[in-house]
Amino acid sequence: MNASMPAAAVQQQFDDAPQQKEAAMLGMWAFIATEVLFFGVLFAAYVICRWRFQLAFVEGSSHLDFPMGTAETAILLTSGCLSAIALRQIQLNKARQSAVLLLAASLLGVAFLVLHGMEYHDEFKEGLIPGIRYVEKGPSAHEMELFFALYYVTTGFHSLHVLIGVVLLLIMALRTWRGSFCAPYHTPIEITGLYWSLVDIVWIFVYPAFYLVGSAG
Amino acid sequence: MTQQEIPTLRSQLLVLAGLLMLLALSASLSRVPLGWWVLVITASVAVSQALLVMVVFMRLKSAHPALRMIAILAFAWPLILVALTLGDYFTRSLLHAALH
Repeated sequence: MNASMPAAAVQQQFDDAPQQKEAAMLGMWAFIATEVLFFGVLFAAYVICRWRFQLAFVEGSSHLDFPMGTAETAILLTSGCLSAIALRQIQLNKARQSAVLLLAASLLGVAFLVLHGMEYHDEFKEGLIPGIRYVEKGPSAHEMELFFALYYVTTGFHSLHVLIGVVLLLIMALRTWRGSFCAPYHTPIEITGLYWSLVDIVWIFVYPAFYLVGSAG
Repeated sequence: MTQQEIPTLRSQLLVLAGLLMLLALSASLSRVPLGWWVLVITASVAVSQALLVMVVFMRLKSAHPALRMIAILAFAWPLILVALTLGDYFTRSLLHAALH
């Protein structure tokens, strides 16, 4: 073990810190694979419905707040970059800078959730939530329900992941500020960064799938 | 596993700029009436953005080959899932016609 590494950082089942880090990274990537499969099923359902009900999906997408969705995407991408830079800073032993960057990344996550909450609120007022308040009429109204059902399930689960990520980033920011991590030992920050990037990647595909259907038909 | 190299701040910020430019491209082109090309363009941009995040922010560029393999498989499985589901969906009418 490195001399400057916290003694409690290496658990007893591991020979040394590198082995522990390898196990943590492998475990995290296996977890990411299961998460990708989870969202993959939703995207598979989307592809089928998008093919089957093309016009209803174009019409449904036109009801979503395109500028808000674009802003949310920019916010998440920036937040992901901040968490990546936070990892870099802790590797350079700049713990305070890393903590501030992690805090900023989590605050951008909160901003994403607030904006998305505002979207949900507006959609509720417009009556676009199937099973709760849905007032759409017309030939495509019933098929548009499928679009909105997929939209709420996918973005709802994604928002849940964002919320978990925000909490993790806040915990990491606090622990980093308190000096729990340093250049030789920063695996939890790296793991959290991987999770946050996953949240980014899922949204990267959610955004065009629901907000950019636009003129495609 | 090899020791990971530390990326430069410049490279991280350049990737962010690239991601935001791709977002602007995707958002603006989706407003143009290009029909199904919109789907092709926005999907291509999304794949490019995801690759950038994986290679640079998730550091797959310098990761152990085992991790890279898991990452590839993680995204390959949903593609297989979608391909087989679509295969089933598109061939139902053909099978139905052949049987009746």
